[in-house]
Amino acid sequence: MSASIIAAGREERGVYENPSNKGRSRPGAVVRLFLAGWALLAGFGARAAEPPRGEWTMPAGDYATTRYSPLADITTANAARLHPVWTFSSGVLGGHEGQPLVIGQTMYVVTPWPNVLYAFDLSREGYPLRWKYRPNVSPNAIGISCCDVVNRGAAYAAGKIVYNLLDGHTVAVDATSGREVWNVQSADLGNGETMTMAPVIIKDRVIIGASGGEFGIYGWLKALDLSDGHVLWTARNSGPDTEVLAKPGVFRAPYDEGTDLGARSWANDSWKTAGAPVWGWISYDPELDLLYYGTGNAAPYNAEQRLGDNKWTASVLARRPGDGSLVWAYQFTPHDNWDYDSTGAMVLVDLPIAGKTTHALVHFDKNGFAYTLDRTNGKLLSATSFVPVTWASSIDLTSGRPVLVDAKQTGATRGNVTGICPSLEGGVSPSSPPAYSPRTHLFYSSTNNLCMDFESRRSTRLKGTPYMGVNSPYHPGPGGYRGSFMAWDAVSGRKVWENKEDFPTWSGALVTAGDVAFYGTLDGYFKSIDARSGKVLSKFKVGSGVIGNPITFRAPDGRQYVAVYAGYGGDWALLTGDIRSEDPADVRAPVDYMKDIGRHTSQGGLIWIFGL
Amino acid sequence: MSGSWLRRAIMLVGLAALAACQRPPPAPAPADAAPPAVRYVDHVAAGEVLPPGATPQNPHRGDAAVARNGALLFNSMNCDGCHGTDASGWVGPALGDGRWRYGGSDAEIFASIYYGRPKGMPAFGGTLGPEGIWTLVTYLQSLPVPKDEATESWEP
Ligand code: HEC
Repeated sequence: MSASIIAAGREERGVYENPSNKGRSRPGAVVRLFLAGWALLAGFGARAAEPPRGEWTMPAGDYATTRYSPLADITTANAARLHPVWTFSSGVLGGHEGQPLVIGQTMYVVTPWPNVLYAFDLSREGYPLRWKYRPNVSPNAIGISCCDVVNRGAAYAAGKIVYNLLDGHTVAVDATSGREVWNVQSADLGNGETMTMAPVIIKDRVIIGASGGEFGIYGWLKALDLSDGHVLWTARNSGPDTEVLAKPGVFRAPYDEGTDLGARSWANDSWKTAGAPVWGWISYDPELDLLYYGTGNAAPYNAEQRLGDNKWTASVLARRPGDGSLVWAYQFTPHDNWDYDSTGAMVLVDLPIAGKTTHALVHFDKNGFAYTLDRTNGKLLSATSFVPVTWASSIDLTSGRPVLVDAKQTGATRGNVTGICPSLEGGVSPSSPPAYSPRTHLFYSSTNNLCMDFESRRSTRLKGTPYMGVNSPYHPGPGGYRGSFMAWDAVSGRKVWENKEDFPTWSGALVTAGDVAFYGTLDGYFKSIDARSGKVLSKFKVGSGVIGNPITFRAPDGRQYVAVYAGYGGDWALLTGDIRSEDPADVRAPVDYMKDIGRHTSQGGLIWIFGL
Repeated sequence: MSGSWLRRAIMLVGLAALAACQRPPPAPAPADAAPPAVRYVDHVAAGEVLPPGATPQNPHRGDAAVARNGALLFNSMNCDGCHGTDASGWVGPALGDGRWRYGGSDAEIFASIYYGRPKGMPAFGGTLGPEGIWTLVTYLQSLPVPKDEATESWEP
């Protein structure tokens, strides 16, 4: 079987020094990894630790999470000819977030719960399955998933496909045989922790986090040993420095002084049930040896039960993959009282700012602002809104803090606060990651144009049940459209163009060296557009709403293809109405802000491949 | 955090909600004595003799004051976080639509809440006890059931 895989690119996968590991036997100082590929790719001189071009070996395509591909067979001149060449039912109904991986001649797909892993043979006609892996995953996890039973994808390294199961297990599967290599329990379902994020593998470490911001979890990031899954370090996102792994001389917050910031910014020890889940994307800068990730909302939604800034919820954290130590942290939304998670991607790009090349980090936050930071130290460079925003008037560049609008602050004593924009679904959903093209120097992102009312009340924490206390109906934002796909210039902090969409736009973005960008819509269209103008080049109705992230690859036949999931869902707020057909015992009224969506789509998972 | 501490806190929440009840506490339901069993309507009882405790009945059925208490309990026990405001449906199914996955008899609704259900419904019997569960059942049974309209049309 492995004979059909010709090693082309070769990657050296280093290991981190690990004091706690001394004495453990190791196969060697450096695990040599022969990345699968094919002869065609041999000409591309891939940098060490970068995937060979033509494959898609990481959730976001690269460590910088740009979702950019250098493939350029599909261009603005021929994209109108794009048409479906293959489709396959995943057999699963939950929202299909995430994206496939393509390694060598195989495409790997992870489904929502029950988290089946499919391996398709791209070298044979009809792309038959090489194998499928069906883990034993607990159905109890369904109730504990705040926002549909999604999975955001798998990671690949050293011949293993690694991904998280909804019930809190992490598994490694042999990429060739489909046999389970290890299966460890990483998260505690009984405490409200589920797992939906895509791991990222840095050298010999699998980096993972837990969902559960709606269940009052004590949010964390962990590194597992790629060889056997054992925990190398656990870093909490709140609490005293010893838990947060903020070490003197290593940690330096750009806008805060003092120790134990993650505990002192919470009244009454409320950091113990902080929320601060990690359900989005992880990026990594190999030169700085820093990994970056965003944390989710603070728990409970009634912010009066946790007075203070609530660090480090709704923040970006930069850590050393080797020992987990925190290097810097910046909070986008201090004292989050709107469920503004910051789990969206942290895209690492070098930008010309004020005349000099800056190692930047660009992030589109749920709170409606697009941020550009200096990724070496967490200092804020710019922040401007990309959707209508009413909770803050601006972000102060000196203090790094939002300038709040008092009338839009929420809490149990403030009653029903109306007209808050964006809604808690975010100016963009963190599950809809952006793309960046080094050719156009533009970012591409879906957006939601929704606002909300927010009425919170006291909530009691009861393990395994939601710790929220809110009623927060949404309504369409100003302008009569509910979403868009936009191009953004992070240097000027401005929108360059925007394709308005009738429904909220929930898919990830992809952009290629052919200057074609791709996205999908909730009513089930998959579109290719001109990356410079936004002009639609082709569109096709893919059978269900798109909340997945398109990828592109070169198949064994030498041609470039684009793959994407259809599969409506991703939030229970989307799943009302008659979108669901599988349960005759569950009848719901359509939601006010989207009464018409049921006319255009229903649930159901499909994998699509498009070609010229 | 100690489990027993948390449990006591929860009991207090439940009791506080119950204390708001206007009426004197009802006589203990038979379910207090024997563990409530579930009778599925299509089970055959050998010799046509049902086992004891097979069909527990809601001692508060139709009692509006208990239903109001149940509405408070529904929020304070975080049922609404999973079943939505007014039980209109969220990660857990809508509970006021007159349709049931596991049956809508007194005993079946009781069992759903007391023992939990496999696809993510937690068991509340340990935290609330039979009296609290009957209070919730009474609330759910008090929800106005809309006309069961099987058709949804987008034609004008
Ligand atoms: C953690 C989320 C969660 C919480 C909290 C929760 N439920 Fe549920 N509930 C569910 C799910 C999910 C189901 C469907 C289970 C299944 O199909 O196996 C369900 C099922 C039910 C059912 C059966 C419905 C039917 O159609 O037969 C009832 C009744 C019910 N819940 C009542 C309650 C009550 C009352 C509370 C609070 C005491 C509560 N639930 C708390 C998630 C939850």
